Amino acid sequence: MYGGEFDGAAAFSGGGFMPSQATQAPDSSFSTSKNREGRPLLSVTVKQIQGGIDESNLFIDGVEVNNVTLVGMVCKKDDKVSEYTFLVDDGTGRIECSRWVQESIDTEEMEGVSVGMYVRVHGHLRSLQGKRFINAFSIRPIADFNEITGHFIECMYVHLYNTKIRGSVTQPQLANSRMSTPMKGYQAVAPNQFSTSYGIGSLDSLSQSVLNLLKHPTYLAREEGVHRLMIAEQLNTPMEKVMEALEHLQDNGCVYSTIDNDHYKSSVNG
Amino acid sequence: MDTSNPAVFVNGGLLRMYVGRRVRTVIQVLQSERGAVFGKSTDNLELVVKGSPSSIPLSTFVEVIGIADSEKSIRADIWTNFGDTFDTNSYNQLCQLASGEFKHLFV
Repeated sequence: MYGGEFDGAAAFSGGGFMPSQATQAPDSSFSTSKNREGRPLLSVTVKQIQGGIDESNLFIDGVEVNNVTLVGMVCKKDDKVSEYTFLVDDGTGRIECSRWVQESIDTEEMEGVSVGMYVRVHGHLRSLQGKRFINAFSIRPIADFNEITGHFIECMYVHLYNTKIRGSVTQPQLANSRMSTPMKGYQAVAPNQFSTSYGIGSLDSLSQSVLNLLKHPTYLAREEGVHRLMIAEQLNTPMEKVMEALEHLQDNGCVYSTIDNDHYKSSVNG
Repeated sequence: MDTSNPAVFVNGGLLRMYVGRRVRTVIQVLQSERGAVFGKSTDNLELVVKGSPSSIPLSTFVEVIGIADSEKSIRADIWTNFGDTFDTNSYNQLCQLASGEFKHLFV
């Protein structure tokens, strides 16, 4: 459904983020391909889903929507042999959610959900014969009701982000910022990007040296890591400086103490 | 999918804008009588909620969904216990935003 028949004109009319100096062929424009790879997860209200435009692709605030999360009350539940269907009312509207069950653990999850309960749904938004529904990956009861407030505030944030902030950043940054911020941890990050951005920018040179030492394959291989005396000796640095660096690294999650408070090991692989 | 009958997030002050329409709000229960519950809205106004709670006893905070009867009362058909701790301040701000700048996301 997010294939080559992508309707570029309709998609970009509202967003205005189509590169004017496009270097790629139109049918592989980054929005289509990025979304297919990225599968962003958006917090939405049912009202927003209804506002989508065409039949096969759904756009909210100029962003193609595949996966959504919403919070609402179950107002109807039907169970069939391999599928449960729920009508979820989030106060802005009602939408049908279906959950296919294969394993007994899925069945147990669904048996735990009953009419009148508040749930969080994660799923894939689908459209069939003009009718929208969600193929749910999970439907879980809400334990802390502040999550309801939080969800709707997040919907506003995502809307604001996609309509205002995204429109004001320049093209090259757009791909990154748009893909990362609203979806947070759901977005896959390339491993090498991860390790470079991982605190290293903020490390002073001693911390960096300590980290480099700890990342040495010989020390990484040792289960207990390296004794702090050894670090001080190797780097020819006073112990208190080494301790400062180690604490800093520990606060940033780069190193951890192992068998006792004197042995440290890098949490980042070389 | 059906968005014809939304329930608007309201606090005590916003209730007057939606008389006759479907609303949802969270109250702190002050007093419970047969057929009516007296409570405090998230903006510290007194509200009367008519109807019979489906779950008894009520927790400190209760969400009610129903028709706004007047500026100060709601005829509720859905009652949900929200427990004894709830962030009323955030909820109150949500109500403001959902009836203001972001209304189009809700109704």
